[in-house]
Amino acid sequence: MKKIFIHGIVAGILASTASLIYFNLYQTTLGTSFDKVINTGSIVGSSIFGCVLISIGYLLLFKFNKENFKGILNVIITVLSFASIIGAISMSLPLDIESPELFPGLAVPMHFFPALAFFAIEPFFRQQKAITKTAE
Amino acid sequence: MLNNLKDKNMKQLSFAVLVGATMLLSAFTTIQSIDWKINDGYSIKFKGTDAEGIFKTMTGDISFNENDLSSSKFSVSVDVASINTGNGMKNKHAKSDKWFDATKYPSIIFNSSKFSKSADGYQVEGTLEMHGVKKQISIPFTFSSNTFKGNFTVNRMDFGVGTMEGMSKKVSNEIALEISVPVTKK
Repeated sequence: MKKIFIHGIVAGILASTASLIYFNLYQTTLGTSFDKVINTGSIVGSSIFGCVLISIGYLLLFKFNKENFKGILNVIITVLSFASIIGAISMSLPLDIESPELFPGLAVPMHFFPALAFFAIEPFFRQQKAITKTAE
Repeated sequence: MLNNLKDKNMKQLSFAVLVGATMLLSAFTTIQSIDWKINDGYSIKFKGTDAEGIFKTMTGDISFNENDLSSSKFSVSVDVASINTGNGMKNKHAKSDKWFDATKYPSIIFNSSKFSKSADGYQVEGTLEMHGVKKQISIPFTFSSNTFKGNFTVNRMDFGVGTMEGMSKKVSNEIALEISVPVTKK
């Protein structure tokens, strides 16, 4: 259980790092500023929150001994990540922000980072568990 | 004593000349319109159901004298392409031929024809040209601290902006406009 949460937090930190790099790169390259809408705090907070939510999903699978449904859960997580971009696309920004048409290009990719980070490091955590099982 | 009498007469004459000259000059004095320069910081906000935003660019000539409304004149043009709803996709949609058709009708133009005083301030009548349609409208406004402020509504269907079909139905016909234009004397 603890391991799943650590998995979620590590994934959250990775997603935050990737998002912050992308956030700064995007704004510097395109000369835009969406600091009024998203900032370091909201990026880190939402990335960790997203990954912890995924952890809870995994935890429930383990708790109810339904590990075979991990594939289905991954698909659900991916679909939810995809669905969440609707919010970024349809969002109306404060009217004093220039070039609102560039906002989805910034926000949409970041919606996939938590799931991406979680899935990317998942084999490391699974591998440790496999070794433990073999040892047993 | 003779000198005193001469001085007194001279003073009376000077005063009479001064009064005469003042009266003569005032007879030729006319109240003229005052030209105003539009300052940065103006705002043109619009709000309706499911449609809210601003137009960012406006140019124009403003002549206004509170004491001589007959010589006053508003002639302003709003750049349709400067519309900002806060959402890039909505902006693009608003500029498209489904709504304002900014390529074909790049400006919203208002030319005044008559000013009058009202209980709350002033009233200007004039022609509003939008989306290629000209309509006579009346705009109430106030002028204080070198700022013109006006609130009025426009029926978008009168100007053929959008339709009442499909998703466009969600946008109300009546669109409220809130205009604030700070000015300085030219």
